[in-house]
Amino acid sequence: MQAKQFIKNLFGAGKKAGIEDMEVFIQGNSILELMVFQGEIDKFSKAEEKGLSFRGIYEGKMGYSYTEKIDEASIEFLVNDVISNTKIIDSDEQETIFKGSDHYNEVNTFNLELEQTPIDKKIEFIKLIEKEALSLDDRVESINYCIYGDQSRENMIVNTKGLNLESKINSAYMYISVVVKDDNDIKTAFRYKLYTDFNKFDYKAIAKDVVEEALSLLGAESIKSDNYPVILRNNVAAVILDGFSGIFSADNVQKSLSLLKGKLNQKIASERITIVDDPFMEDGTETKSFDSEGFATKFKKVINKGVLATYLHNSKTAKKDGVQSTGNAFKSSYKAPITIAPTNMYIEKGNKELDEMVKEMQNGLLIIDVQGVNSGLNPISGDFSLAATGYEIKEGKINRSVSNITIAGNLFELLNDVEDIGNDLVFLMPSNGYIGSPSLKIKSLSVAGE
Amino acid sequence: MLNKSIVEDVIIAALSIGGDFAEVFVEDKINTRLTLLSGRVEKSVSGRDYGVGIRIFSGNNSAYAYTNDSCKENLIKVAKETAITLKNSNCNTTLNLMKSDIKNNSTILIFPSSVEKSKKVQLMKRAYNAAKSYDEVISQVTVNYLDHEQNVLIANSEGLFVEDKRVRTRLSINSIASKNKEMQTGFSGSGAYMGFEFYDTIDIEDYAKESARQAKTMINAELCPSGKMPVIITNGYGGTIFHEACGHGLEATFIAKGSSVFCDKLGKKIAPDIVTAVDDGTIPNAWGSLNVDDEGTKTKRNILIENGILKGYLVDKLNGRRMNMKSTGSSRRESYKFPPTSRMNNTFITNGDSTFEEIISNTEYGLFAKGIGGGSVEPSTGDFNFGVTEGYIVKNGKIDRPVRGAMLIGKGCDILKEIDMVGNDLEHGQGICGSMSGAVPTNLGQPTIRVKSMTVGGRKEDK
Repeated sequence: MQAKQFIKNLFGAGKKAGIEDMEVFIQGNSILELMVFQGEIDKFSKAEEKGLSFRGIYEGKMGYSYTEKIDEASIEFLVNDVISNTKIIDSDEQETIFKGSDHYNEVNTFNLELEQTPIDKKIEFIKLIEKEALSLDDRVESINYCIYGDQSRENMIVNTKGLNLESKINSAYMYISVVVKDDNDIKTAFRYKLYTDFNKFDYKAIAKDVVEEALSLLGAESIKSDNYPVILRNNVAAVILDGFSGIFSADNVQKSLSLLKGKLNQKIASERITIVDDPFMEDGTETKSFDSEGFATKFKKVINKGVLATYLHNSKTAKKDGVQSTGNAFKSSYKAPITIAPTNMYIEKGNKELDEMVKEMQNGLLIIDVQGVNSGLNPISGDFSLAATGYEIKEGKINRSVSNITIAGNLFELLNDVEDIGNDLVFLMPSNGYIGSPSLKIKSLSVAGE
Repeated sequence: MLNKSIVEDVIIAALSIGGDFAEVFVEDKINTRLTLLSGRVEKSVSGRDYGVGIRIFSGNNSAYAYTNDSCKENLIKVAKETAITLKNSNCNTTLNLMKSDIKNNSTILIFPSSVEKSKKVQLMKRAYNAAKSYDEVISQVTVNYLDHEQNVLIANSEGLFVEDKRVRTRLSINSIASKNKEMQTGFSGSGAYMGFEFYDTIDIEDYAKESARQAKTMINAELCPSGKMPVIITNGYGGTIFHEACGHGLEATFIAKGSSVFCDKLGKKIAPDIVTAVDDGTIPNAWGSLNVDDEGTKTKRNILIENGILKGYLVDKLNGRRMNMKSTGSSRRESYKFPPTSRMNNTFITNGDSTFEEIISNTEYGLFAKGIGGGSVEPSTGDFNFGVTEGYIVKNGKIDRPVRGAMLIGKGCDILKEIDMVGNDLEHGQGICGSMSGAVPTNLGQPTIRVKSMTVGGRKEDK
């Protein structure tokens, strides 16, 4: 059935059942993934998926339902489900259906050239990078993952208050993980690249980078447990910021789930720290002109020179705080209810090269990778303890590689202990590339090792 | 779910273009998720997942596609487009799918879809009240409830045609304790391959209080010391250590391509005599159980390690081709959106001889990890980590004082050898394991064990 006709029928059935305002959110994804192993396409995956989320206000409360089967039979299910879901909701916070903003910024999020790139070119690229990485050094034992994927996503919001918005975004990614081995040790390193422009994938540069990093880690050993000055390389700082990004959500603040409660306009970080939420960033994976409720998105500084400037709001939390929505309503998929998330959020870069930061630190650790974010980082308490890999820095130079250690601290102390910021802002995995950071020099972190 | 003759046509269409094996997986799943916060139902989302996954093998290579549009024309189109990426069509196939009945290991009494949502909410409110009233220090409690009924149809070009219905429910309680501008958390929960009758078999208030007790203990605890020390790991969820340190490394996903430290170790001693480990998908009503895996193969009780000797891997059909081994009924996927691969079901270390008290009293100094968070592993190096959410320092054979969470790290093959005591108090915890084929329910189990030496990622030196 055509989407338009389906929506019309659904709204009709909903109205008949007594649902006042209604909204439909349709998401369509087209997905390709290729995995190469020893020169052959080992896995090939392709999908067209579509899902529809329906929400509506029944007796003053908002109910949600969704379906992946868009047929006449689903209409009754959706309507009944929304009503039965409102009946058990007893939250005092009223959600509303939005008629639309007066103005939406124009954003360019669809790369036609990527869409038109033939699959043979993608296969060629992913085979080339595997071959290149294997050829660079005899110690490259295997390439355990070598994956290319791209995705094109269409979102549509239509409601009974007259809102009708559409967006289309596409991007491509590649992931390579190499295993290197010598007589005594085995190590891995990975790279994840995400671009909207296929031409930006430089297979030689990526292969060289990942193989060199893996080789540099061979023979890494632990280090004495102590407090050390630490540089968190850009990718590591981004992972930590991502793990804690929920603390900025006004929803978490209002529910006493964020330690930023009551901290608005107060200094919570070193004055060197400015955190930006930019929905209009070029090539951003969360670049968009409207959020999941149909509100126009906004550029904002969340932390301005160390001072907490705003929380991130959707319409519900904004109403409760008596402020305007910041356009951060978010639906992770058609299955999810509306929550709050950043758009493209990053720590503003400084002006130092990483090399310079290493030189100036003199003695300490440069951390290049962390593991265990899901269990080792507690967004409520701010505490973190993560498995880490990196280099020992002695007299301003890399002395040796270090592994089998953990770094531990508390986010709120860490934000105050930032002593220097690199010029190497990067957006990274996980989080689909919408959280970014440059490298950060931290006064001191607890390191557990020998 | 899908007419047998359509399934036959789709499989034949695929093989007429390319490949030597084709499989169809149909999923129709009803989901309910409820969230209760501050005593009020905050979120109630339910819905229907529906889709078809088509997988084709040609030798060791595979192609996969999925779609929500299950009309015959579309499925045949998708099957052909997918097969075209593979070589070696072997087909002048005729196919006669024979529906086989499967043995049901787990009885379901009350299907969740037949239970009013308000009853589910009542249960959640009981949990909330028990946790919130546990102590004044408890500032916030979140209760999450989920249930699902997953109908699957699995058919392949070998003539297999099975249908099954999988029913699960789970409830978890997160408590937060606040004091002096600090917050600490506690977590407890349980789930089963069962209907709503599951909640008659457990005392939900006990779970709620346990969650609050953890949060209260942690808000009053000091920072965890760091460095290498003996670590005693709790029964039940403590099985996360085996799951990460060893379990993933035994999956054919990693063994087939030589990217696991446990490759070529079959029949070799990889752990002390006191360690026997099993993955059993057949345990009645257990959270990680299945009648048939997501390739339609009957689940089994698979011995992984017996008295320290590596006995077997977890194998799926595709990787089994590379390894020249049969499926162990261990192929799983989150949904039709993922091609399946070898995963764990209910994994556990079997009982040893020591009592919990003996393990504690034989430890001069060390960490007792009582609360366990998640973990992860890099199978090619064996480097793993897992989080301790509630810890205690053991001194002179006695539990001395609580300490806050810390990460434990190590290398799987080293840690296994370092297990020097195994308790007699086997229990299972219910987890969600995320890997290549998505997030699947798995049991993590073990009796209390002691590891001679492990790196504890704390934040200070012990005084």
